[in-house]
Amino acid sequence: MIIELDEFTRVEGIGKAEIVVEDGTVKEARVKILEGPRFFEILTLGRSYWDVPDLEARICAICYVAHSVASVRAIENALRIDVPPTVEKLRELVLWGEIIESHALHLYLLALPDIFGYPDAISMIPKHGELIKEGLTIKAFGNTIRELLGGREIHGINIKPGGFGRYPREEELEGIAKHAESLVKFARRIVGIFASQEPRGAKAEIPMVTSEYLWGDDLIVGEDRIQYIELDEVPVNYSFAKHTYYKGKPIFVGALARLLLKEKYIQGEAGRLLDTYKDKIESRYVIYNNLAQAIELVYALERVAELSNKIASEGIEKGIVEPEEKSGEGIGYVEAPRGVLVHHYRIEDGKVVWSNTITPTAFNQGMMELSLLEDAKKMYGSVPEESLKKKLEEIVRAFDPCISCSVHFVRL
Amino acid sequence: MKLAVFELTDCGGCALNLLFLYDRLFDILEFYDIVEFHMASSRKSKERVDVALVTGTVSTQRDLEVLREARNRSEYLIALGTCATHGSVQGSVENAKEAFRRIYGDIKGPTKVLEPRPITEYVPVDFAIPGCPYNKEEVFQVLMNLARGVEPVAKDYPVCLECKLNEYECVLLKKGIPCLGPVTAGGCNAQCPALGLGCIGCRGPSMDANIPGLVEVLKKILPEEEIAKKLRTFTRW
Ligand code: SF4
Ligand code: SF4
Repeated sequence: MIIELDEFTRVEGIGKAEIVVEDGTVKEARVKILEGPRFFEILTLGRSYWDVPDLEARICAICYVAHSVASVRAIENALRIDVPPTVEKLRELVLWGEIIESHALHLYLLALPDIFGYPDAISMIPKHGELIKEGLTIKAFGNTIRELLGGREIHGINIKPGGFGRYPREEELEGIAKHAESLVKFARRIVGIFASQEPRGAKAEIPMVTSEYLWGDDLIVGEDRIQYIELDEVPVNYSFAKHTYYKGKPIFVGALARLLLKEKYIQGEAGRLLDTYKDKIESRYVIYNNLAQAIELVYALERVAELSNKIASEGIEKGIVEPEEKSGEGIGYVEAPRGVLVHHYRIEDGKVVWSNTITPTAFNQGMMELSLLEDAKKMYGSVPEESLKKKLEEIVRAFDPCISCSVHFVRL
Repeated sequence: MKLAVFELTDCGGCALNLLFLYDRLFDILEFYDIVEFHMASSRKSKERVDVALVTGTVSTQRDLEVLREARNRSEYLIALGTCATHGSVQGSVENAKEAFRRIYGDIKGPTKVLEPRPITEYVPVDFAIPGCPYNKEEVFQVLMNLARGVEPVAKDYPVCLECKLNEYECVLLKKGIPCLGPVTAGGCNAQCPALGLGCIGCRGPSMDANIPGLVEVLKKILPEEEIAKKLRTFTRW
C-alpha cells in the first residue's frame, strides 16, 4: 500500500511524497520533486562570464543573492579576480539581508501556522496579527538590503564579477544599521515560540557547511574537509532531484548544520539564546532547524548592524576589478539560507564551457526521506491517516525546501 | 471576489513577489478572498474564481493539467511574469528533449516532461503582466482595477522611455554598455540602467521592437553570436 501525500503547500516549488507500507509496516518514504527541469547548466554554456550570474539568479527567487554570489565567486576563482575587502564585506551584508528575508518568510508565514494550527498566516491575522506584522516588517527589512545592494528585491543584477554596479552611500549603510538594531527585540520573540516544538524528524548525523560562516573554499562535512566532488550524487527515477550522500550516509545542510558546526561565530544576544537552547540544537532533530533559523535571524540582525557601521566608517573602494586570466576553472561555495550551494564553471576565452550547480534542497533530499521514514514508522497505525500526512508535511517544511532550485541532476 | 494563484514550473519569484506587497496585501484582502495559493496557504479548493493568476511555464504534464484547471475555473486569467508570458530562461532552451537527456541521462522522472512554453501558447489569457519578476506595483493596480470593474491597460512603450523620463544617462550610447532597453517592454521603471548597468531584457520584447536597428548598434560592442544569445535570454523572439 502507498500513502500519497498531496503536493506540499507553504513551500517554494512543486513536490510531493509517498510512504510505502508493506504487511502493516512502513518500508520506504519517497520525496518526488515534480517541478519541471529548467536547464541552467545548459543555459550558461557559451555565455560570457559577465552575464552568467544574472542568469543563475533565476534559479531561485527566495535566495537569488546566494546564487549570484556563488556564481560570482566561482567566476572570480576561475579568472583570478581579486576583489577588495569592502566588496567582500558588502557581499556578506547582502547575504545576511537574504537570510533575514528568507528566514522571516519561512518562520512567520510558512512554519508558524503549523504551531498555531492554521492553514496559513492570513487566517492568523485576526488573533495573532501583531506577530505576523512583526514578521512582515523583518522580511521587508531583509529585502531593503537586497534592493540596496542586489539592485532589486528579486533578481537584481547589481552583484557582478569583480564588484558591484552601484555602491551604497554611507548614510544608506548607517540607516540599515539602526533599522537592524531596532528589529532584534521582535526576532527574539520568535525564538521562544519555535523552541516549544517537540523533537521530530531524523537526527542530522552528518551536518555539512562551508568553511567560513557564509562561504569558503571547501566544505566541512562532520569532521572532514572536502571538495563537493567527493560526495556521491545518485539519480532516482521518481524525482527530478538527485540524492547526495557522504560515505553512504545522508548529509544535512542549513541553519541547524551551521549552528552545530559554527557555534563560535554566534555572539551577543544570539549567543545567549544559543546557550539557552543548546540541548535542543545538539539533539540534532531536523525539526529544530526552525529553532536554529530563529536564533540565526537574531544573529543576522546583530551582524548586519555591526557590519554596516564598519563598512560606513572604513569607507568604500568602488569599481569593478578586471580578470587577470581569460580561462580557468573555479568553484563557489556559499551558504544560502537553507544551506550550502555550489556553482562550478570552466571558462575558456571569457565564455563558460562547462557548468554545474548543486543546491541545498538537492543536498537535503536523502535526509528528508529519512526523516519522513522515521516519523512515519513512529506514527503509522497510532494516528489517523489524515493527521499522519499533515505531520509529515510539517517535517518537510522544517527543511524550508526550495524545490524549484533542486531540479538539477547529473553533471554535464 | 475570489482569487487563486497557480504555480507552474518557475523560480517561485512571481508568487513570492505577491507576498512582497506587505501591507498592501491587506488592501487586496479587503476585495479578494484568496482561495488557493500553494506557496502561502494549505487551503485547497475546487471552487470557481473570479481572478486566477498563473506563474511559470508549462514544462511538464502536471503543469499542463494545472493550467487547464485554472482556465476552466476562472473568469479572468492573468499570465503573471515572463515565464508565463514569454517562457523566460527555461523557455529559451532549444530542443528541451535533448537538453533533458544531457542533464538527466536516461531517468524517466515523476511526470512527463514537455518542451517549456509560456502559458499563452496553450490557453487564451485575459491579461499579461511580463517581468522577471514583474513590477509589483503593476499587479497591485491591475487587481485593484479589476475589483472595481475597470479593465486594465497594457503598457506598450520600451524601457528607453523610462530612462528618458528619469533622466538617466544612456548606458548604451554614452558608456558603450550592451543594453536591450530599446527593444524591451517598459514597466520596470528602468531599474537596471538606474544602477549604471545595461537592461538584460527581462520583460520581453516591446511592441514594434526594432531588433535589426538594435543589432546594428550592438555589433560595435559585441560579437554577433553574443548578441543573439543576449536577445534570447528570456524569450525565443
Ligand atoms: S518570470 Fe522570472 S521571477 Fe517570475 S517565476 Fe519566472 S523566472 Fe521566476
Ligand atoms: S531594465 Fe530591463 S532587465 Fe532591468 S528590470 Fe527593466 S526590463 Fe528587466
